[in-house]
Amino acid sequence: MSPVLSLLTAAVLSISFAGAAKAACGKVIITEMNWASAAIVTSISKFLMEQGYGCDVQVLNTSVAPAITSIAEKGEPDIVTELWINSAPKYEELEAAGTVVTLGNVLTDGGIGGYWIPDYLAAEHPELTTMEGILANPDLVGGRFHSCPDGWGCRIVADNLQKAWDFEGRGLEVFNHGSGETLAASIESAYTNNEPWFGYYWSPTPTIAKFPMVKVDMGEYVEAIHTCNRSADCANPGKSGYPNDRVLTGSTSAFVEREPQIAELMRNVSFPNQAMNDLLKWQNANNATADETAVHFLTEYPDVWAGWLNAEAKDRLASLLK
Amino acid sequence: MAGYEGLFNTLGLRDWCDAGATGGPASMADLLAKASGGAAADKGFSLPSLDGLHAACGAVPRTRDMTAGLENMFLSVKDPIKSVLGPITQPLSWGLQGALDLVAAVPGWVLILALLVLVQFATRRTGMTVFTGVVFVILAFVDHLEPALQTLSIILVCTCICVLLGVPIGILMSRSDRLQRIMIPILDMLQTLPTFVYLIPLIFLFSVTEPKLYGIAIILYAIVPAIRLTNLGIRLVDFDVKEAADAFGMTAWQKLIRVEFPLALPNIMAGINQTIMMSLSMVVIASLVSAPGLGTLVLRGINKLELGVGLVAGFAIVLLAIVLDRVSKAALERINKTHTT
Repeated sequence: MSPVLSLLTAAVLSISFAGAAKAACGKVIITEMNWASAAIVTSISKFLMEQGYGCDVQVLNTSVAPAITSIAEKGEPDIVTELWINSAPKYEELEAAGTVVTLGNVLTDGGIGGYWIPDYLAAEHPELTTMEGILANPDLVGGRFHSCPDGWGCRIVADNLQKAWDFEGRGLEVFNHGSGETLAASIESAYTNNEPWFGYYWSPTPTIAKFPMVKVDMGEYVEAIHTCNRSADCANPGKSGYPNDRVLTGSTSAFVEREPQIAELMRNVSFPNQAMNDLLKWQNANNATADETAVHFLTEYPDVWAGWLNAEAKDRLASLLK
Repeated sequence: MAGYEGLFNTLGLRDWCDAGATGGPASMADLLAKASGGAAADKGFSLPSLDGLHAACGAVPRTRDMTAGLENMFLSVKDPIKSVLGPITQPLSWGLQGALDLVAAVPGWVLILALLVLVQFATRRTGMTVFTGVVFVILAFVDHLEPALQTLSIILVCTCICVLLGVPIGILMSRSDRLQRIMIPILDMLQTLPTFVYLIPLIFLFSVTEPKLYGIAIILYAIVPAIRLTNLGIRLVDFDVKEAADAFGMTAWQKLIRVEFPLALPNIMAGINQTIMMSLSMVVIASLVSAPGLGTLVLRGINKLELGVGLVAGFAIVLLAIVLDRVSKAALERINKTHTT
């Protein structure tokens, strides 16, 4: 073969190969929820999809309700990640109807919701780590329960639980926050002033990563009671702990069919809660953006994410996996 | 990069740069470069930015170091500010809490009756009273009476304080050109600064569970027209009239109360009407910092995309706005008439 011809064949081959690689993964729309851990998950996924699989990734900034509504109405976005199922009852309907497919739990331990007190308070008054202890000494927690903002899934449960535990009767004033920001700010200000605090929060979050809190023992999780507590019209609210919430990555069934490789990748993208809290802590300590935290994860834990990739993607990212 | 390293080298600052180097987290661009096996792409010339200069010289703070510095500066002066502002603003908390407790304690129909008596007394127009009554019956019919009354009580408390503070400030401004020059940019800023921006420092200054948090936010935003139009109204009083008042040997105080104030009243009243409407428009934003009332329902509609909840609460706010606007205008017209005739 003449050198010219071989060069030509090589060029043709490489073009067709590049074309095939491009065709292997098309456009992917992935959500970025408006909180810290979700932004990190999305940033890591985006990098792996683009660099490992050659996808054209579009990130959609949104939150739970708009994302689910958009999937129901338009079949977009393709991938929803860090979806807290407790605040999206509609998701279960869509799942049952086959519109969406659950790829996996992005937080392997699930979201841990419940009532918390700061660790210094727990150290000083160990009796406050149970609900009985708090109800017996409401003034030790500042006489106030910080509840969820109106419209959050946890608010309905909290409203029912405070009836079951009789907060008002025991001298615990319930304060309903207007937004997640003031709820977080109340923890921060209690922490900086070493004041008592008692209220609803969840983990993993930057707030819990930054201000260590102790979860109050709310008793056993009883499914029947909790199901009733989840409804605003629950006739007999009862006492039950919170279950660990499923926090998952979902995808439209159309997308799973179109891009099985990416669906497989996203099935694998998951973090133990401790790992996520560590990432959030690192982010906080370094004043870093979500992208930089993703870079930190991708450079420091190559053995973790190497397991998520298929062989071809591993080859492409070989330079980072050394 | 854009070659700013060269600049620092020529200035002989290399040692200083490297001594203060903080490194900082690697960016996505660095990682992409590493993944493709090359150095980070040189994007060519770029305008000097803190981040760009930091890449060339570690001693230059990054933008986020600057914002963190600003934040720390604020946090370090927060306690003295708090110890001054806390007691001053405490009556606001009492006022708001008192009004909300009143709404919670007194049955709705009693409050509506009291309100109707007030409207009749203020406007002396039976039509207006009947209209107000109809609106509140509609609000009660769709079960939005309590949040509507909460919203109304917040607005009334805040408007009262706006008038008590705004009118004197407006009068002082009309007296002094220098004060006017200082105040106008401040007023412009209060009106244009996105409302969320002054909610953030307020959250740090006061406990988020205190009503004054949203009270201050509403007042800062809504006080502006009361100040502006008082100032304008008094400045617009005819010079000849003031001269005549001087000729009669009036003292400055008499001139203000008997001449300027009555003549400026239509403008001042227009300002108060604007203040009322602007506090209403702040109510949704204020519910982000835990203000109760209709705003909470609108917010819930937005957060959960509950179209119905948002729309009904939105229309309830519109109804409230119509009542407040019409009633305040009618009441103000009546006052204006009694003063001018």
